[in-house]
Amino acid sequence: MVALLGRGNELITLDDVSKRYPNGTDALRDVDLEIDSGDFVFLVGSSGAGKSSLIRLLIREELPSSGRVWVDGQDVVRMRRSAVPKLRRRVGVVFQDFKLLPRKTVAENVGFALLVTGHSGDAVREETERALALVGLSQRREHFPDQLSGGEKQRTAIARALVSRPKILIADEPTGNLDPVTSWEIIKLLVRVNELGTTLLMATHNAEIVNALRRRVVHLDHGMVVRDEREGQYAA
Amino acid sequence: MRRLEYIGTTAAQGFWRNPVMSIASTFTIGLMLLLFAFFLATDRGLQAAVGVLESKVELAIFLEDNARVSDVLALRARIESDPAVSRVDYVTKDQAMARLVDIAARRPDIQIVDTSSNPLQDSLEIKLAHAQDAPRVAASLREEVGKGVVNDVVDNPQVVDKLLTITRVLSIGGVAVLAMMLIVALFVIVNTIRIAVHARRDEIEIMKLVGATDWFVRWPFILEGMLVGTLGALAATAVVLVAAGPVMGAMVNFIEILPLSFGTTFVWQLVGSVFALALAVGGGGAMLSVRTHLAK
Repeated sequence: MVALLGRGNELITLDDVSKRYPNGTDALRDVDLEIDSGDFVFLVGSSGAGKSSLIRLLIREELPSSGRVWVDGQDVVRMRRSAVPKLRRRVGVVFQDFKLLPRKTVAENVGFALLVTGHSGDAVREETERALALVGLSQRREHFPDQLSGGEKQRTAIARALVSRPKILIADEPTGNLDPVTSWEIIKLLVRVNELGTTLLMATHNAEIVNALRRRVVHLDHGMVVRDEREGQYAA
Repeated sequence: MRRLEYIGTTAAQGFWRNPVMSIASTFTIGLMLLLFAFFLATDRGLQAAVGVLESKVELAIFLEDNARVSDVLALRARIESDPAVSRVDYVTKDQAMARLVDIAARRPDIQIVDTSSNPLQDSLEIKLAHAQDAPRVAASLREEVGKGVVNDVVDNPQVVDKLLTITRVLSIGGVAVLAMMLIVALFVIVNTIRIAVHARRDEIEIMKLVGATDWFVRWPFILEGMLVGTLGALAATAVVLVAAGPVMGAMVNFIEILPLSFGTTFVWQLVGSVFALALAVGGGGAMLSVRTHLAK
């Protein structure tokens, strides 16, 4: 059991969290986890270990069956439905399949996150340029997703996740669809984002990357945290 | 400003990217609104007709020439004691003649050639609280005929009865037809918007992911539904305005004696009601459609 009022630096807290789906599958079992502001955490485990379920709880796409979840000081479980959009503006998410809109340019895809959350035209333009510069895509701003490489698509997705300056960036298998060289480019970008102050939680299968970076590793197995090491390795 | 632009553009895109369903919805809503307008206008006309007839004498009792005043007063008091009766007026034969002269002066088809004698009778004119009580009251008064006071009972307001029946049937039938049309229109619009939602499901997923509010997600669809409703309302209003002249002409010929004129206020109320219903059905249908999607 995690103390509810811990050291005061936690950005994410899971307290005795379990998640059971209606079909009886236990996706998460008694998970206790704290992630501090500024951390870079790998979430590892085989398929079905519970990584994606945990991520869905953090952005309140789902609710736990029991236990409590705090993100940036907010009780995610008890928050009103109307408060969920504000939570999601503080948590950027990128996925393996990029989730870009094919009829929008790179700049429009990135700016979309601000446009739909009520920012002014000037703010959308300025922040989009900043995010594109950060991921190195300023030159590709007018291209459409089908004109981009896999790495560029993922960088666009990262720019979109960062454009609203979230405190946390969650990456769910961000290199899953990429070749090794491109995967490393994306990882370097994520490390840089983390160094600039954004807390990073990355779910991955990629042992090579986990082992090379030697960051905190939380290992999930059958929905349980079986290992949590400060400078961990991806161990089977 | 860009948000509004986004909402407006997305709504318009939703309409044009799925033209077959959009036009089908517009047509269905237009048809429903046309029925609605027809129903309102007919109802209004019939209400006016009933009002006019009800304001006239509902029952008239013609009195024997030699009836004693005390008997007439006793009869009047008895009629007035019936709770269905709201007023009883005594009209002398001279008053009746004066009325006839007055009517003749305004009607070129009636001419009074001899005013030296008065063949009319004294009468009691009875107004009822509700026109539907006329047959009962008339029946009880007919029992008095031939007993020295009452010469005849005229029950012309049977027309009122018939009009009331027509109004009732039309009200019930109209509401039933309208309810069915409303369900069909809602069904069509819900499905039209559902297709639009499906076409934009990726965009909606991303919008929710980056923190757009449910209302922001909803508005383009509601606007699209309202657009469909407005186009349907425009079509229905156009048909009503074009057809109103000939239809009214036919109706006035049919019910000659009634002052069947709707006036500008009613026309505006009618147009307003048609647009209000159109927006409610369009927007409401869209809300229903998106609600299921957002609940996921």
